[in-house]
Amino acid sequence: MKAQIVVIAEHTGNRILPVTYESLSFAMELGKRLGLNVSILILGNTVEAMAKQLAERTGSHVTGVEGEQFEFYNGEACKAAAIEVLETFDPSYICMPHTATGFDLAPRLAFYLNASCVTSVEKILDREGDIRFIRSMFNGKLHAEMAPATAKTVLTILPGAWPALEICPESKGSVHIIRANSVPVASQTLKIKESEKGKLNLGDADVIISAGRGIRNPENLHLLEELAKIFPKSVLGSSKAACDLGWLGYQHQIGITGQTVSPRLYIACGISGAVQHISGMRGSQTIIGINRDPDASIFNVADYAIVENLETFIPILLEEFKHFSASS
Amino acid sequence: MKLLVCVKQVPDSERRLSINQEGSWIVDENRAAFRMNRFDEFALEEALLIRDHISHDKQTSIDAVSVGPPRASLALKKAMAMGADEGIHILIDHDRYMSPFDTASLIAAYAKDKAYDMVLAGVMAEDDMHCLVGQFIAEILEYPCATSVIHQRIINAGSEISVEREIESGRRECLRLNLPAVLTIQSGINTPGYPSLSNVIRARDQKIITIDAGKLQPPEKREELVSLAYPEPSSKGLFINGTQREKAQALLRILHEKSFI
Repeated sequence: MKAQIVVIAEHTGNRILPVTYESLSFAMELGKRLGLNVSILILGNTVEAMAKQLAERTGSHVTGVEGEQFEFYNGEACKAAAIEVLETFDPSYICMPHTATGFDLAPRLAFYLNASCVTSVEKILDREGDIRFIRSMFNGKLHAEMAPATAKTVLTILPGAWPALEICPESKGSVHIIRANSVPVASQTLKIKESEKGKLNLGDADVIISAGRGIRNPENLHLLEELAKIFPKSVLGSSKAACDLGWLGYQHQIGITGQTVSPRLYIACGISGAVQHISGMRGSQTIIGINRDPDASIFNVADYAIVENLETFIPILLEEFKHFSASS
Repeated sequence: MKLLVCVKQVPDSERRLSINQEGSWIVDENRAAFRMNRFDEFALEEALLIRDHISHDKQTSIDAVSVGPPRASLALKKAMAMGADEGIHILIDHDRYMSPFDTASLIAAYAKDKAYDMVLAGVMAEDDMHCLVGQFIAEILEYPCATSVIHQRIINAGSEISVEREIESGRRECLRLNLPAVLTIQSGINTPGYPSLSNVIRARDQKIITIDAGKLQPPEKREELVSLAYPEPSSKGLFINGTQREKAQALLRILHEKSFI
């Protein structure tokens, strides 16, 4: 079976991750534009059940590669097994989600295959038959149009940029399971450590008030806490930058390497809007951005944009809220 | 131990950026608007911590390398002021976008016969945000590589390194790598320190080693940046105008209409 686009599926604990179905949506769109066929590759300790599920949901051919070396993700082991399959398929495009796994594996494969490598792709563009991939640069302030200059291209797909693939195909798809040979590696993945800091389920909140580096001073967090009190079922979220500064614990982090949320209301305070953050919150029903920088890319996804210094704006907002609740 | 830290000089993304006439890269109008990539600051600080930790090994040295136009030497001066022993500038003769594969190929070409025990880089550059250079260096040099590293400890008398890499939802993958190895460092692994006065003085007087990129093996062409564009403004976004108080009142009205309050 020849396939010109191969999607590498990501999974954890015998469960296909939703980002895999997003990458599949991307691949189907690319396949439709170019008249190419999509197939799926899944690597793991035991993958048969997941491979069947993928085949049924997509109607595509799924190759499962099994081996103990895939109990945990290991870049070297996955590269060795993936290139064996990719060499027989000889695809033009290899896609995977832009996650800690995806961006680790993609350049390893690209190097071996002499392929172009474009990460965190958000959009496909057709320039008179030439396919271009759009990705963000400079914290999302600019978009770059990338063109592969090689026969093969490895792509990582930004989480949240495509909806998860929802199709019930006429075809049941097909599954082929092979056993991987063990290859000597210079790195071993030993185990996964669960988050040490108490888990905070941001997904349950109706309203999330998020802090970024732009709040400038951790003392300003109390303003966000006061703002959160206006709403029932609200919680504080954070950009990775604010967590790195120690202002909030990582259990509050939203975006890549953090949590993905879609509350009814998301208020981003002092968040510039890097794609790493946006991909974790763009599904929110209503987004309000408060930032001093009128060019901040958070305003590209916000429903309501307020260009203000939040140190002075939030106290006025809270004061006005008191008048508002007294009069209603 | 010999450590190499890759540092990139990047434009400050918090300022206003304009695209040049050809649409190929941004307008570079003033030097002050550039600084060291924050992720590389974490990588350099981690190298300094490794050196402090194995201080019994008096031979531990830290080299900082940067690929870039003449202005990139400022990032190396900063690295030396933070505590790097040497700065190596791979000088390129243009001030445009460099693909991660090109950057990695130049660094690897420089590093290949230098017997570094470890190469550290930030997990990504703040300007192009690719997350690729470290992995490409590892592939070219045939070193094992761990990305998104949030904790490291050298073990087995310096022959191996134990690392934790940050994956989704605050979970960590624990790995052991043979040395030499490449680590790409995730932000938050440490708290980068300020340069000490003595290091600032030393860095000011110390020469940077400059290598002409043209003298190193030119890499094969991979993907290209065709053009840059400003993102289309959000079609749904509404900028709320007025004084602070008017904006606050307007926002409360919206929140009320949508039954949030």
